[in-house]
Amino acid sequence: MTEATASSRTAMIEMIKVTKRYPPNVTALDDISVSIASGEMFFLIGRSGAGKTTLLKLLCNMERPSNGLIEVAGMNIHQVTGNKLAKLRQKVGVAYQDFRLLTDRTVAENIAISMEVSYKQPQIIRNRVRSLLAQLQLEDKHDILTGDLSRGEQQRVALARAVANSPTLILVDEPTGNLDAISTAQVMELLIRSHNSGATIIIATHDESIYRHSTHRIMEIKNGRIASLSSGDGQGWPNVVGARDGAGATGGSGDRI
Amino acid sequence: MNFWFSIFRQTGRNLRQTWPTLLMTCLTVSLSVLIFSFFYLIYLNMLSAGDKASHQLRLVVYLEEEPSPALQEQLRRKISQFDQVQEIKFISKAEAFNRFADQLGDNRDVLTDMPADFLPASIEVTPLKTLRGLSQIQLFSEYLATLPGSQKVQYGQKWVERFYSFTQLLSIVVLLSGFLLILTATFMVASTIRLTILGRQEELELLKLVGATNNYIRTPFLLEGILLGLTGSLMGLASLYALFHWTTRHLSGTGFLDLFTFTFFPPGVLFTIICLSIILCTAGSYTSMQKFLRI
Repeated sequence: MTEATASSRTAMIEMIKVTKRYPPNVTALDDISVSIASGEMFFLIGRSGAGKTTLLKLLCNMERPSNGLIEVAGMNIHQVTGNKLAKLRQKVGVAYQDFRLLTDRTVAENIAISMEVSYKQPQIIRNRVRSLLAQLQLEDKHDILTGDLSRGEQQRVALARAVANSPTLILVDEPTGNLDAISTAQVMELLIRSHNSGATIIIATHDESIYRHSTHRIMEIKNGRIASLSSGDGQGWPNVVGARDGAGATGGSGDRI
Repeated sequence: MNFWFSIFRQTGRNLRQTWPTLLMTCLTVSLSVLIFSFFYLIYLNMLSAGDKASHQLRLVVYLEEEPSPALQEQLRRKISQFDQVQEIKFISKAEAFNRFADQLGDNRDVLTDMPADFLPASIEVTPLKTLRGLSQIQLFSEYLATLPGSQKVQYGQKWVERFYSFTQLLSIVVLLSGFLLILTATFMVASTIRLTILGRQEELELLKLVGATNNYIRTPFLLEGILLGLTGSLMGLASLYALFHWTTRHLSGTGFLDLFTFTFFPPGVLFTIICLSIILCTAGSYTSMQKFLRI
């Protein structure tokens, strides 16, 4: 991927010299600069504790950077407040590593939450929930409390909630941590569908099986710094016809790669 | 799906989840409303009875001698110097005798051997309606006692004094119960909403993360406050009405209650109590939100 192709597409995410420190003196991310294009699928890899989750938390405004600038869809997300921030968050779907499911609510209710806050019609919500559950083979869990599900099922419900509102940016933290091979394929299928419909997707993972054959860009983080950033060949996920990514972006640690 | 539909659904969900706590709060609010409105109802009825009684208030000045028409005119002027009065009526000894005889009815023959002038002449002074306070009546009575030829002034002082002390005591009780209503309604609702917020912290955090606006998160709590105020006050007033109905049915015609007509609150007062309760409960809810809802 070249600088020319990078500039030809709008950047969904711009991170410039971003650092995150936790008290007393723990540096989780150090001098991260990366640009992710709109509609791109992007892998964030690294060992546990490398800083992947922190980076996702910064992107969805759960944490504030100690230094540097983060822009999502052209907006400095840490300066956006009130209804503007709410609107921005409706456009960002996040599947958290710890799922953040409401365990006393049913699967359907958990998935519906992200659509209810943007005042979607009840009929549309019902249809979308059923469709997502069918894609993840969880149709029979529609009315089950999420607290009664297995970890793998909970993980899939969390992912369904993240993509339910058709967001333009999807952040996924370890999407396959508790899944078998078949469920992993279903999850990736769902993500690729969202990607094909135009969403920018960032997947933080240390599961090599899901990015090994990928033609998308892969950024490795080590001790909070960018260790490497592959350029990707723009051909998309190997198993999916019509994957349309490959847009360029720059990235780097200190000096951009 | 519009904003209010979502909000009502969210509120309904909250109510389903926390109904035992909300029910207890609602009962506490209704009890406070009942206590306050009970004393306020008695107070209003006492005031109304006092008002009626004061319409019939008359000060009677007993005279040593029956005044001549010229003296009557002088006394009339003297009385009017203190304050304007509604009516001044001179009662001669003969008139007083006839009145007494009429009051005795069939037993008037006990007066057969009595001289027709054994009762003293008197002046009946009906003060203006503006002369209401006990101290004003006392001052007027003292002034009348200084009139030349005056023997004694009577206006049922003991009864009037007791009545005024009782209404004063009642007004203190009403103020105290009003204060109780404010405290319980505000603090109970604040505490309930605080518990709800703390119990749903995880959900509220998630709602924020998926893009719920501040109004989407806050409005259901405000609605809960409004609902608690409304149902609490309606329940309290309904209980009071039941109590009032029972009392007037079972105790009317007996002693004390027969002295005056007991009436329930007019619609304006009912509306004010309901609004006050709603405002207090909403204020309690709002206070808790400001304190504990971090969005």
